[in-house]
Amino acid sequence: MWEFTARSLEASTIFTFAALGELIDQRSGILNVGIEGVMLFGATFGFIAAQSTGSYWLGFLVGITIGGLLGGLHGFFSITLGVDQVVSGMGIWILGFGLTTYIGNPYTGPLGLPRIPTILGLSPFFYLGIVLVVVTWFVLSKTSLGLRIRSVGENPSVAEVSGVSVAKTRYLCVTVAGMLMGLAGAIYSLDYNPVWNYNFLMGWGFIALALVFFSMWNPFILLGGSLLYGTLWQLSLNPQLVLPGFMSRYLWRTVPFVTTLGVLLVMSTKWFRTRWGAAKPEALGTPYVKE
Amino acid sequence: MLLKGVKLGQTVLGVRGITKRFPGVVANDAIDLEIKAGEIHAVLGENGAGKTTLMNILFGLLQPDEGEIYVGDKRVRFRSPLDAIDVGIGMVHQHRKLVSAHTVLENIILGHPRAGRILNLKRAEEEIRELCERYGFSLDLRAKVWQLAEGEKQVVEILKTLYRGANILILDEPTSALTPHETEKLLASIEAMSRDELAMIPFITHKLPIVLAISDRVTVLRRGKVTARLETRQTTEQSLAREMVGREVIFRIERTQVERGKTILQVKDLAALSDRGFLALNGVSFSIREGEIFGIAGVSGNGQQELAEVLAGLRKAEGGNVLIDGQDITHASSLDRWQMGMGYIPSERIDVGSIGDFSLVENTTMNYYFDGDYSQRGIVDYGNIRELTKEIVDEYSVATPGPDTRAKNLSGGNLQKLILGRVLSRKPRLLIASLPTQGLDVGATEFVRNKLIEAKVEKSGVLLISEDLDEVLSLSDWVAPIYEGKLMGIIPGEKAIRENIGAMMAGSQSKGQET
Amino acid sequence: MRIGGSELKLEKRPALTGWNAALISVLAIILALVLFSLIFILAGINPLVAYQEIFSIAFANAFGLPLTINRFVFLVLCTCAFIIPFRAGLWNIGMTGQLYGGALGSFAILFAFGAKQANSFSLSPVILIPLMLVAAALGGAAVGAIAGFLKGRFDVNEIVVTMMLNFIMFWLVAFMIKEGGPFMNPGGRGESFELPASAYAPLFMGIPFTVFLALGLALLLYFMFARTKIGFQIKAYGHSPAAARYAGISATKIPLLVFVLGGALAGLAGYHYFAAVPGVYKIARNYGFFGDLAFYGIICGLISLGNPLAAIPVALLFGGLSIGGRFAQGKLGMGFGVDYALLGVLMITLVAFQFFHRYKIVRENTGENTADVGVHR
Repeated sequence: MWEFTARSLEASTIFTFAALGELIDQRSGILNVGIEGVMLFGATFGFIAAQSTGSYWLGFLVGITIGGLLGGLHGFFSITLGVDQVVSGMGIWILGFGLTTYIGNPYTGPLGLPRIPTILGLSPFFYLGIVLVVVTWFVLSKTSLGLRIRSVGENPSVAEVSGVSVAKTRYLCVTVAGMLMGLAGAIYSLDYNPVWNYNFLMGWGFIALALVFFSMWNPFILLGGSLLYGTLWQLSLNPQLVLPGFMSRYLWRTVPFVTTLGVLLVMSTKWFRTRWGAAKPEALGTPYVKE
Repeated sequence: MLLKGVKLGQTVLGVRGITKRFPGVVANDAIDLEIKAGEIHAVLGENGAGKTTLMNILFGLLQPDEGEIYVGDKRVRFRSPLDAIDVGIGMVHQHRKLVSAHTVLENIILGHPRAGRILNLKRAEEEIRELCERYGFSLDLRAKVWQLAEGEKQVVEILKTLYRGANILILDEPTSALTPHETEKLLASIEAMSRDELAMIPFITHKLPIVLAISDRVTVLRRGKVTARLETRQTTEQSLAREMVGREVIFRIERTQVERGKTILQVKDLAALSDRGFLALNGVSFSIREGEIFGIAGVSGNGQQELAEVLAGLRKAEGGNVLIDGQDITHASSLDRWQMGMGYIPSERIDVGSIGDFSLVENTTMNYYFDGDYSQRGIVDYGNIRELTKEIVDEYSVATPGPDTRAKNLSGGNLQKLILGRVLSRKPRLLIASLPTQGLDVGATEFVRNKLIEAKVEKSGVLLISEDLDEVLSLSDWVAPIYEGKLMGIIPGEKAIRENIGAMMAGSQSKGQET
Repeated sequence: MRIGGSELKLEKRPALTGWNAALISVLAIILALVLFSLIFILAGINPLVAYQEIFSIAFANAFGLPLTINRFVFLVLCTCAFIIPFRAGLWNIGMTGQLYGGALGSFAILFAFGAKQANSFSLSPVILIPLMLVAAALGGAAVGAIAGFLKGRFDVNEIVVTMMLNFIMFWLVAFMIKEGGPFMNPGGRGESFELPASAYAPLFMGIPFTVFLALGLALLLYFMFARTKIGFQIKAYGHSPAAARYAGISATKIPLLVFVLGGALAGLAGYHYFAAVPGVYKIARNYGFFGDLAFYGIICGLISLGNPLAAIPVALLFGGLSIGGRFAQGKLGMGFGVDYALLGVLMITLVAFQFFHRYKIVRENTGENTADVGVHR
């Protein structure tokens, strides 16, 4: 049972990092639907770096860096070029999907390095994740920078006129977000499930997207959501722990995805809508053009 | 800040020879302006006279092609609003530039250099409270902006400029969205600020009585040039209007008398919610007959928009009934209503009334794709609709290269004329016109108003919703002021008295007005 | 941006139409192919040689050409499946799930008529094949309908929904064809039972009849958008849901309709690959591969700018690149996934080129000291 819980928490860590990144993105008004692509890049390049050099540090560093670069790319398309953010996000996803399939192919298989040491039986990233959630909450709600970010996400023209550079703020957020997503991918391929296979993230990036909507842009609710999802995922892999023999294991695999649909449905009900609508950064997804 | 120790009466802002050209038009033509400390200096002009351009130049949003700006006796150049803010110029916009989801405090300190890394809300709160006391503002600093009334939101913007150290305030149409009561409060505050040696520059289009009431001096713009510089004491509404428009202005339009027919629309106890879930319409009842213009007058946000949408079938009625020609259509779809002879001209002509990327022909199709004459067995007869579009363009003098131009290339006035033509070409029994002349220039406004009268003459029933009290008074056969979702009275047009209607719009019960 | 005595300004375009827009798409493809040659160079191969290989295998080879055409049919259907919701302003990235739904639908018919057990099969193909087609369309439509309904009725984000459905359907197929599932092959090889020979799709010169189906549907779609009432409504909704509502167009029905239509087309793609392509005739073990292939539909849809007619040449090009790439990679000694990588590069180039749809770079001679105005309106 502990094994199950531990794995759930470790899975949740990845959701936390990826969704936290997207939360920061969205608070500044940028929508990135290509989280999966950024994660794939982080996971693949991190994996390659770590395996080639034998250094975990390098692997994570590479994962973070490439994530930041991709975040910056998304920012470039959305902010500077004013391309539709959904199109850009889709582009990043397919770019990731396509390139990593080819580039990672020679590395298919296990990582082959000794596992990262655990703290109290859990991956160190789990604790890092919690710390980052708190830090994000603090920065967003208690600092000047946070106020600027939130204002940019709600009403960029007001922010601009008040002396905040919308472009710079958004670039900052998009890059930091990318770094977190790349890190999430690297954690997946180096710690959680260190075996490379093409398109091995199985839609986690999209689940993270749904998680951000569900969390109403509150880092703590987000953390709760990730824990829930981590557990659900483990459950879908090991249904025998809870309900042995109930359903084909293939059908169990659909549980996390069906749950996401359910969550999205709940979020669209009237009760949720009014609160959700109020919490939503007003300028989310709208490109900002300086007048 | 450049202006410490400025004495009352000294020039704080000097504008010399400002010229700005856009393709095809000279928006500002060698404009000179002098603003003194402590004065309230109104800049008056019609839409298109160049006010907005001048305002944007003064605030650093635009660069002039020629001319200079002096603050105090120092020449300044603004590359962006930040430069203007740095020298003490602040702007209060017509359409609130605030973050609705944030608190008053957060809005005021956003971007402020002294806000600190970690927000020091307490100190800011104290300092802002001081400002409030000084000028007589009362505001809950911790309230969220979306919860505030229009007048209070405006105060937040004013406080924001003051907190940034502005001593020259540009006010863009400051009273356009306020109730009469809020207007009084604002004027009092403006007086208080000017007594404190701040210079106030309201830019105004039509509220001439306000200009007379409050300003010390007036500069009138027409077609980009300054046509008059007047001491307010020495001028009248009539002479101001004449300077603005260049000819004698008729203030009242003759109301056309038409024989009334049978009742087309009956509204009984209609109730509806706003987007935020509050009760926007609270039991509205009235009826409209053939050949009548029923005018609803009110300040924006009192339920007019929701009323129009419920009648058009775009918003759910939470209670009450709507009947057209005796048939209950309360729950009918908007498509049904179009087919039954309703016509709706929405206030948002760009986002709702038309599709910018569609050609004019396709825009016309919006009201014709379901019409048996133009669309049979699922196939749309674009050829026929094209001919129709050409007719509309002709009859309504829509300035456009052709029917295949995209709607987004039309100017506001021409777009509105197109929409008007499209809707009226269906000869609707009931025409709902929401803010039909908003943002239009004099020529287009006149045209639209005439068309509304024509519709009435052709025995349609017209529901006119307008924020321009004078427009409602001059066009309507029945005047119904709306306040907080209720009609405060229904007064025959000839008997409506401006002051009383204005008071009812602000919530007072009708005093001695027949209903 | 100033360069010397002139100023480069960005002018917003009044929206690109027709040939101008097509030109940009073509440029994007060319640029992508150029960029992609980097990958060849990195692998030590002359890009020109590589491209020549790819195209000759795809189009000039007796073995490769039918494969290309089969893939072309698949892509046209997937592209149109993407295009219909796209014109309504919605993103259908669920073609994968929808095609699985279609495949399951077709096989359900076979299963219902006892094809699993019998080796020969009594039902005439004249009845059977249309039934399979209808079932495929319905299966895909049903999957699509979920996304369309949720969007229309509850405004649920269709990107996440369709993606979730992709995975749900993936596992559903696994359930059906793997150990103990109803469609399992009696030999138990982790794939579905095989199509009886009498149910094979009729071939024309080695190509299944679905090629005509696909072409016909593309043409029909083009006509639908250009001339019909429903096409107008979809377009209006795609440009402005608010204005569409105003015009009496149902904001709940349009999303449902476009996803049902799109899903149906993707379902037919499922029928095509699993029941019509010679040499397959079953839901194979690697069915996931074809599911992934459906994502090409997104790119083809974007490149053809939502025009079903343009989808035809674009899908043909991509079919060729994909088949050619697949075989060339073996011949040239490159790793697996060359076609995927091309997919990725193409997509991102397209995204960058979206920029040119909105703005054009204009050179203006200015002598003055004016400050940057940024993007001109």
